[in-house]
Amino acid sequence: MGKYVVKRLLHGLISIICVVLIVMLLIYSLLDRNKVFSGDPNYNHTASNNRVTYEQSRLEDFGYLDYVPYADYVNLLALEGEIDEETRAAAVQIGRTADADSEITAEYVAKFTEYYESKGYKIQRLDADAKRNGQLRDGGQPQLFASRDIPLLQRAVDYFTKMFFVDNIHYVPDYIDMGKRGLTFTLFDPTKNPEGASKKVFSPAIIGNGTKHKYLLYFDENFPYFHQNLLTLNLGESYTVNRGVDVFTTMTEPQGAYVLSSVTYPTGVTVDRADNLHTATYVQGSLNATASNAEWFTDDYTNVITNKKGMSKLGYSFVIGIISTILAYVLGLPIGLAMALRKDKLLDKIGTFYVMFIIAVPSLAYIFLFKALGGKAGLPTLFDMDSTDKLMYILPIVSLALPSIANLMKWMRRYMIDQMNSDYVKFARSGGLSEGEIFTKHVWKNALIPIVHGIPGSVLGAMTGAIITERVYVVPGAGNLLTQAINRYDNGVIVGVTLFYAVLSVLSIILGDVLMAAVDPRISFTTKDR
Amino acid sequence: MELEKLGLTEEELFSHVDHSALESEKIVAPRYSYWRSVFRVFFRKKINIFVLTLLGLLIAFAYIYPSLVDYDPFANLMDPASKHLSPAAAMAYFGKDLQWILGAGASGESTFDAIWNGSRISISLALVCGAINMTVGVIIGSIWGFSKRVDAFMTEVYNIVGNIPQILLISVMAMLFAPNFWTMVFALTVIGWLFIAYFIRTQVVIIRDREYNLASKCLGTSTVKIAMKNILPFMTSVIVTLLATEIPSYISYEVFLSYIGLGMSDMSLGRLIYQAESAMVTPGWEMEFWSPVAIASIITVVLYVVGQNLGDASDPRTHM
Repeated sequence: MGKYVVKRLLHGLISIICVVLIVMLLIYSLLDRNKVFSGDPNYNHTASNNRVTYEQSRLEDFGYLDYVPYADYVNLLALEGEIDEETRAAAVQIGRTADADSEITAEYVAKFTEYYESKGYKIQRLDADAKRNGQLRDGGQPQLFASRDIPLLQRAVDYFTKMFFVDNIHYVPDYIDMGKRGLTFTLFDPTKNPEGASKKVFSPAIIGNGTKHKYLLYFDENFPYFHQNLLTLNLGESYTVNRGVDVFTTMTEPQGAYVLSSVTYPTGVTVDRADNLHTATYVQGSLNATASNAEWFTDDYTNVITNKKGMSKLGYSFVIGIISTILAYVLGLPIGLAMALRKDKLLDKIGTFYVMFIIAVPSLAYIFLFKALGGKAGLPTLFDMDSTDKLMYILPIVSLALPSIANLMKWMRRYMIDQMNSDYVKFARSGGLSEGEIFTKHVWKNALIPIVHGIPGSVLGAMTGAIITERVYVVPGAGNLLTQAINRYDNGVIVGVTLFYAVLSVLSIILGDVLMAAVDPRISFTTKDR
Repeated sequence: MELEKLGLTEEELFSHVDHSALESEKIVAPRYSYWRSVFRVFFRKKINIFVLTLLGLLIAFAYIYPSLVDYDPFANLMDPASKHLSPAAAMAYFGKDLQWILGAGASGESTFDAIWNGSRISISLALVCGAINMTVGVIIGSIWGFSKRVDAFMTEVYNIVGNIPQILLISVMAMLFAPNFWTMVFALTVIGWLFIAYFIRTQVVIIRDREYNLASKCLGTSTVKIAMKNILPFMTSVIVTLLATEIPSYISYEVFLSYIGLGMSDMSLGRLIYQAESAMVTPGWEMEFWSPVAIASIITVVLYVVGQNLGDASDPRTHM
């Protein structure tokens, strides 16, 4: 069995990789990339050469291409210490045309061209766009840059290799001087033991310098109390939906109103804010970027997640999904059983009508119908994250449960009737078993086996959220993330969400098979030719 | 009857019949025509006649009615008094006419006309998609079920393609081409057939190895004949039942896609619902929203019931 499951998992993994490849091909190669500018207000404010570089840098942000302006190249050389500040300042100035370059500029332009052309980049030089009187037009400065489309295969390899990020002390580029790099273990977490505190609070933590996260291991009062940042999951960075944040974080971070508490910052300043200092990550040069950062922090680990009142997108979707799934099994199975036992009687007819209604009527129609009915009955029809009213969960749960109930009723009835007409039941009956015995000892156990196969799928599927239900009731769940990302050309999120869905669906099929084999000893996946 | 009363001799009444080896092998059964039996069983249920009439009426309204009235959604655009009228107000404003029985919409158009115009597009979409997906799906599904080599390959394809979100694919199509009727058809059929083929494949696998097919094979029947004579009759009811769920599902799916903003540019039922969503919560405007929803539901339910009952009737086991 174990061997079989491993084989299936490997197969699943290959399928998932193919899915990601196809989706990348769809969104990066087939779609018209200029659509990203259609809703961009800044685009029309740029002109001339600036528009070209703006396009390039935006396309880089959206993940279409690699774009390196010449100035960045020279500045990087200076940062890495290859050239001194004087050379940098001289080399970074490019002439209005290539001929007008100074000697030192021409030298570095040649180096730049050679270096990036060898890596497959296309070098573009835009000469100054001048008016007749010699003045530059708006945005008409000369530009020099290298760019290239990221090849599909490289994109995919990059994506999968960067998916699991192991935090290390070389995360911060080596040319940045940030004191001694390394990991320190402390028994007294500095966020809980501000300098000068009289009583020490015992709380072990591992703190890094040079790493991405400041706190790599720590304890706090939030479930599950023990947290790690050593290994993090990167499903793809968002650009428009939730700027600069990973898809997985977008799905799992809390939403809603801030939870304020008195936070003592590393400098010892205590302010009523919602910052969770344990989540601090490194942002280059951020310490002196704002006055408040300089006042509160002592290093560049200033990017913190805030504590919020609500659950995450995944959380809301899962709570609603799992309750409706449980409801569906608790109601759907017994009703389906009862329908099969009283075939062609009134209950069966009502049930069949209900199933037909749910299958045939567009789901949008009955969700709106229930919203209208629920509103008439006085239930809240809109979801509000900051409200503690549990009643607002009722309508989304009911709307989600109704189709699942119909589906389970339909299949339970079908399987039961199939079993009751089978030969072994006739044999049992002729052997003198009572109908009750036949039912409890044989029929329902057999009828339940195919139902069991679907359970992991329903449980995992609860996480993906439901598009229409969440839209109609304004639930801040994960169901709308994909459509949102598509509408806003957020390629990173599209890939990440697709991957998440694919993993769930592959897992649920495998778990379903395993569960089915566990329930029914006759089913075995290990022997050949079953 | 007393034979003596006829006044005939035994020789006149009876004649000797020789034993015929050929005749004695003949099996006499009532004449049986498959499709005639299907319709006999189908029309035995009174509800089917009613539902079929309703379907005829719906199709007549969707396909014939719009060509009879000259429908122009923007005819009353400049007339502010004609917008968002309840049925009673519309009748009072425009005069008593069938056209205004459901009131007027956001640009003063007749809701009634808009719905039938939309129904035509939605039903056409469903029929075209259904025809393409079913044809391709059934053919590929049968080959998929029959050949073990194709099975291994197609199952992998299914595992991969089945995991690509359909919404993504459809939106990519909509962005690549103009979001018109045929783009929508292409988007719904480009991988839609795969799920039907998978379903058919499972059915074929179930029937393929039944004893009577093995026996048939042992007796030397060709694969084509097994497929046509042994398996296809069994599949007819399955295919019809599947068609009954597929065609309404395209209408529902179109409504869903329009609602999330991925629909086509034509004024289909889904787009009508999407555009009238804000009207739902506005007192007095509810008809604009609920009437396309109701018509969409009636169309899908009627198509489903007809299909299901036709599926039941096409199962030879019900022909007794």
